[in-house]
Amino acid sequence: MSGGTLMAVMLREGKIRATNSAFIFWDLVYPLGYLLVFGIGVNASMGFTSGLHGVNYNAFFLAGVLAMASFGIASNTSWSFFLDRDNGIFQEMLTYPLRRSQYLLGKVLFNVLIALVQALVTVALAAALLHVPVRLDGIPLLLATTVVCTAGWFFFYAIFALRIRRNDAFNTVNSVFYFVFLFASSMFYPLDSLPTVFRVAAYANPITWQIDVLRRATIGVGDARLMTIESVAFVVFTLIAFAAATRSLEDEA
Amino acid sequence: MSDPAIRVENLVKLYRPNRSAEIRAVDGLSFVVRPGTIFGLLGPNGAGKTTTLRILTTRARPTSGRAEVFGYDVVRAPLDVRRCIGVVIQEQAADLFLSVRDNLLIFARFHGRYGRSVRSRADDVMGQLGLNDVADRKVQDLSGGFRRRVQVAKMFMIDVPVVFLDEFSTGMDPILKRRVMELLRARAAQGRTIVLTTQVLTEAEELCDDILIINNGRQVAHGDLHALKLLTDRLYAVTLSFDRVPDDLSDIVARYSPAAVRVLHNTVQIRLKEDESRVLELVSTLAKRGRILRVEISGASLEDIFVELTQKESRVS
Repeated sequence: MSGGTLMAVMLREGKIRATNSAFIFWDLVYPLGYLLVFGIGVNASMGFTSGLHGVNYNAFFLAGVLAMASFGIASNTSWSFFLDRDNGIFQEMLTYPLRRSQYLLGKVLFNVLIALVQALVTVALAAALLHVPVRLDGIPLLLATTVVCTAGWFFFYAIFALRIRRNDAFNTVNSVFYFVFLFASSMFYPLDSLPTVFRVAAYANPITWQIDVLRRATIGVGDARLMTIESVAFVVFTLIAFAAATRSLEDEA
Repeated sequence: MSDPAIRVENLVKLYRPNRSAEIRAVDGLSFVVRPGTIFGLLGPNGAGKTTTLRILTTRARPTSGRAEVFGYDVVRAPLDVRRCIGVVIQEQAADLFLSVRDNLLIFARFHGRYGRSVRSRADDVMGQLGLNDVADRKVQDLSGGFRRRVQVAKMFMIDVPVVFLDEFSTGMDPILKRRVMELLRARAAQGRTIVLTTQVLTEAEELCDDILIINNGRQVAHGDLHALKLLTDRLYAVTLSFDRVPDDLSDIVARYSPAAVRVLHNTVQIRLKEDESRVLELVSTLAKRGRILRVEISGASLEDIFVELTQKESRVS
């Protein structure tokens, strides 16, 4: 019954998303668009290099784009709580025979699938169009990181989407998160040459952990020991966020 | 006697909205609902009906007291409770981006039902509720009335032992409402328990085997319609149509201390609490003052009982 219930939540999410093919198309190609527009633009117009030996900016930026895409999917998925509330279906679903944790897991599972396809498409096209030297042996790590991190960010966002009942207030929080998490991280630039405060903030930022692991998975750069610590830290972050989001959903009662 | 479908004991729910004064939405409510009955939970706005339903459907936790559905405690075994129930909440609830058919199929899937038999059942349910023509349209393209239909239709996709309906007829046309009421009666005849709240008291009068009237979160009266009528015996509604309303009507009626008097063109409606002989005396007195074309004397309707009991309770509290 529980597996079936999880499948029901996933099927519902899938059907709702499938009614808007433009949305799915955009989810799949926008990381590549970002890489093409921002990566090539910065590279060409300002002559940036990554600062890492033998790694051009497009290769460096690929992991950042993958993390940004996963973060974006998580944010969009959590926003759907507001849609469910507006439709009234949120309250009805709380009476369905499923655990609150299953509701959360089912909601994210379909979107994790989208994130996986998105990551593979982005990496494949980055290799084909921008000649990023992608490591094939890093693909399993790339996929595992995408799954855990998309889920982790969704659970993190869900806490706020469930606690904040106002759509406009949530949008403000979302904007702050985008600004803080994306810019205080290793997404756009290496951290080594940054001021100490900035560097400390970036290393405390879970998206830096995600990007470092993705960078290792895609182009093989980065400290393996640090990456292991960051991987464990992100798994812990995901578990804590999951517990807190489940609690937030239970507190609806 | 069989075990109750629902048992509620000393249920209390306190709210403190935005750090303001505490509200006792439910205040020591106790009742049982027998399996296979249609149970009506009635009360004025803010009486605590929806809060009680929210607790019974595991969407709100009680502050104290306990509630069980088929022996499952709503706090300790919420998942077991949810496996036993179907709920039509007061607000509209449908997936707007999905078709009517998909709404029904997905709902059934949540209750572990899928496959050809469920698709066929969806066709039957849509037929019964007049949704066939819009089966493949997205709910967002339908009117409010149709959206409510979809919401109610979902309840007929599953065979859970207890169905909760919070103001189910809101936005429904009279023909559809009648159809749904027939379906609900059929469900109850099959042994299912139906719990409903409604503001339309004729609905409750027609449907309910057992009625609980609450106000300010407390029980005001409980019983079947006949038992409730006994609580307000000597309450009569008198309707008289004259060829011309007597000039001294007010003076005459005032002697009988009426609960309400309404004059509409040449028709007079009087509600009064008097002995039967006094009611007949009033009619006889008025008949001497003008030519009566039509006279109708009836006992209290559920609406009269409701008004009488809730007003009395409000005065006491």
